[in-house]
Amino acid sequence: MIKTILAVDDSASIRQMVAFTLKGAGYEVIQAVDGQDALDKANSHQVNLVLTDINMPRMDGLKLLELLRKLAQYKNIPILILTTESGDEIKAKGRAAGATGWLVKPFDPKRLLEVIGKVIS
Amino acid sequence: MTELRSVSGKPDKKIEDKLMLEDKEEVICDSAVDEYFLGIKGDLNQADRLVSDAVNNLVINFRCIDELTKSYHELVLAIEKMTLSEGCGSITGLLEKQMVIANRIEQELEMAIISLQFGDLVSQLLAHTSRQVKMLNVELECFDRQGDWQGKTEKKTIDSIHSAVSKAVNVVKNKSRDKPVVQQGMQMGDIDIF
Repeated sequence: MIKTILAVDDSASIRQMVAFTLKGAGYEVIQAVDGQDALDKANSHQVNLVLTDINMPRMDGLKLLELLRKLAQYKNIPILILTTESGDEIKAKGRAAGATGWLVKPFDPKRLLEVIGKVIS
Repeated sequence: MTELRSVSGKPDKKIEDKLMLEDKEEVICDSAVDEYFLGIKGDLNQADRLVSDAVNNLVINFRCIDELTKSYHELVLAIEKMTLSEGCGSITGLLEKQMVIANRIEQELEMAIISLQFGDLVSQLLAHTSRQVKMLNVELECFDRQGDWQGKTEKKTIDSIHSAVSKAVNVVKNKSRDKPVVQQGMQMGDIDIF
């Protein structure tokens, strides 16, 4: 069965690169432009993994993570953070909010697919 | 995966010269203020390096993809011709070559995907720098409104300005959040699985 990934980033180029990489590997990709958009799409679609940025307008990635983890259907779904930030403090916040992993941009397509393959199964 | 070609170690000569000239300028106020503006200069320099690095990589990637695609098409045509005139023995060799080219195209595309992410990194750096400058501007305006510059000697006025700028920079430094981009070039980022 084809797995669906929700890719959240306010940068159109990053969304395109993520979608290009994931679609090429056989995943279905839903794109969201910020945390609020992602939350709406997460509620209306069956998603197997969320890949989200941190710094976004309207709702940031950490708030999205926090709200998704409160939803029963997203309690055990892998949520990966893909961001430019890599400070220990913010990573700890992400971990405490329930992130499955932390990836620092720029991402390498092969490594991204490896990580997703590992956590999605 | 093939290692990324990085030009980060070799900054643009023109930019380097310009920065060297700027670095020789007088200290604006005190070391904290100077350090603050050097920080901003460093951030802009970092943004410039990221763009140059990515653009150079992309030029190489696409040139390579272009050449490989041409070779790939030539091979496909050669295989088609051979299929019509000869047996299958020599076709296997050509198919292997075709596979090598396909793999290289894939590698170049992967590197292009990494480089194409520069826009996001640079826009975040510029937004951060812009926020810092805006905050400093607000603080300086505030000190300007509070300052009593009239009736003071020139020396006293300069000292007051220096002190006001230092205070403004300190206020901004305390309010500033961490820099959102750590990557100095287009090297791949770290991965942590919790």
